[in-house]
Amino acid sequence: MIWRRHGRHLKDGLLVSPFFALFAVFGVWPVLRSAWLSFTDYHATDDPVFIGLGNYAELFADERFMTALANTCAYMAWVSVISVLLGLALALAFGSDSPLHRAVRVAFFLPAVAGGVGAISAWKWLASSEAYGLFNSLRAALGLAPARFLGDPQWTLPVLVLVGVWSVLGYNLVIFVAGLRAIPKDLYQAAQLDGASPLNQFLHITLPNLRPTLAYVSLTGMIASFQVFYVPYLMFGAVDTLGGPLDSALMLVTYLFDRGFRHLDLGLASAAAWVLTLVLFGLTWLNLRLVGREGAR
Amino acid sequence: MTLWRWLRAPLWLLVPVMLLPYYWMAIGAFKPVAELLRQPPTLWPEHATWHNFLNPDWAGITADPEKLAGILQVSVEGHGFLRFYANSVLVTVVVTAVSLLAASLVAFVLTKRPFPGSRWLFRALLLSMMLPWEVTIVPNFITVAQLGWINSYAALLVPGLAKAFVVFYFRQAMLSLPDELVSAATLDGAGTLRIWWSVVLPLQRPALAAIAIPVAVGEWNGFLWPLLVVNDAATLTLPLQLGKMAGDLSFNPQASAVLMAGSLLASLPAIVLFLIFQRQFVTGLQAGATKG
Repeated sequence: MIWRRHGRHLKDGLLVSPFFALFAVFGVWPVLRSAWLSFTDYHATDDPVFIGLGNYAELFADERFMTALANTCAYMAWVSVISVLLGLALALAFGSDSPLHRAVRVAFFLPAVAGGVGAISAWKWLASSEAYGLFNSLRAALGLAPARFLGDPQWTLPVLVLVGVWSVLGYNLVIFVAGLRAIPKDLYQAAQLDGASPLNQFLHITLPNLRPTLAYVSLTGMIASFQVFYVPYLMFGAVDTLGGPLDSALMLVTYLFDRGFRHLDLGLASAAAWVLTLVLFGLTWLNLRLVGREGAR
Repeated sequence: MTLWRWLRAPLWLLVPVMLLPYYWMAIGAFKPVAELLRQPPTLWPEHATWHNFLNPDWAGITADPEKLAGILQVSVEGHGFLRFYANSVLVTVVVTAVSLLAASLVAFVLTKRPFPGSRWLFRALLLSMMLPWEVTIVPNFITVAQLGWINSYAALLVPGLAKAFVVFYFRQAMLSLPDELVSAATLDGAGTLRIWWSVVLPLQRPALAAIAIPVAVGEWNGFLWPLLVVNDAATLTLPLQLGKMAGDLSFNPQASAVLMAGSLLASLPAIVLFLIFQRQFVTGLQAGATKG
């Protein structure tokens, strides 16, 4: 009996071994290796040389890295705040099951499905700095001089935030609709009997009950926007500078890509990846502290 | 909810903004180059043309905007747009199919047929889900380079086959599977693989469909990893080629008409599938978002 059980365990273990072999090579080993590489000087040609915290010190002394960190934080903050507030407003406005509202939600959800390079190319064309871009045509219609949306650093963040909000809004909307529907209807009925105003109902029923959803939406949104890469890369990156005009579109992952794969400074790039990880851990911890564990789901 | 009725009016204005890039891409794809560069832009193609897709006047390298190669005639080192399209389809289909099947089998074994150490394997999967994938790209690039996989399909396919978040998703779905079903099949003498294939997998079809969507969308749009491991035309994927064309936009505005045509072709399958399977897409992408 025991022998047979061992045989079964062995067979079952063999069945899952290809998966775990791949997982070990491409999922576990790289984590350990990048942690080690982050403490080394490594340029792909010679063996890694241990330099302690040298890469981390270099990162925080590098003005470009600090620019990337600041840009990423600003982008994350704007996208999160706007997309959470707008997403909630949209869920309250278009949350019903009527065909019209469902069609509206489909329109908002489209970028979550088809928000790839094709759609970003269209945004790039819309924001073109030339007079024939639609944005500049609208400015011309208002009597304003054309703006260099893709070439003037002061426009970089607004353009990126617009596209960032555009891409996550529908997702937030759908999650908020689910969250709103989970609030028991009788709470509202009881409040109406007590004569509570719609505003009071929102403040004292909707918001408190929506807290876990709010926490979930803002945390996942912050994590995703902190890892932003291809939108700034495609819209602002050029051959000579990946970070766009005056590095105004330089994000953390762009910096990692630039140092790691264009300059083959793989030790430094590994350190940058771990700084990114620590920031994400910090954000998660903060979110749990502010909203409580039930928000983490 | 009555309070929010007044909110709706300004929010309606957001609907055209959401659809704007798709609309602009769709009409841009059918505008002649001269019309695309006109200011103010036309809101509907005045002289609709299919030359941005296939240009009969195309005759090799030229500065004449009317004689530019259509998107289907664009060639990089002898490989054309359809090749890049096929590469993207291949990567999406293979990675989605294999990673889902593998993850489903692993989830089944870990939840219903645990063996010594299987809990630790599951914990390792959970732990790996907490880390952003950027942590792995430097070592994975080195590994792929050492294996000699740069510019090969293996580099695009193999590292994406073992997806921890899909195992996690299937495990949640598997918990509601009655144990009796598995033990009954075991008494009938069926092995693990057989039970999984003929009992578990058919019952898990809704879960498979739901999680297939975020995996497929992610692979179809994959950009950073292909950018690192592929620069040879033969294995170029669709996003990479479109990205290159978008990068040239500021030097060569004429190419934008062709770029819009290519963008439309690249976005169309996702849009059409989404419009057909709306409900599945919404549930699926919600489920996939837990990958953090």
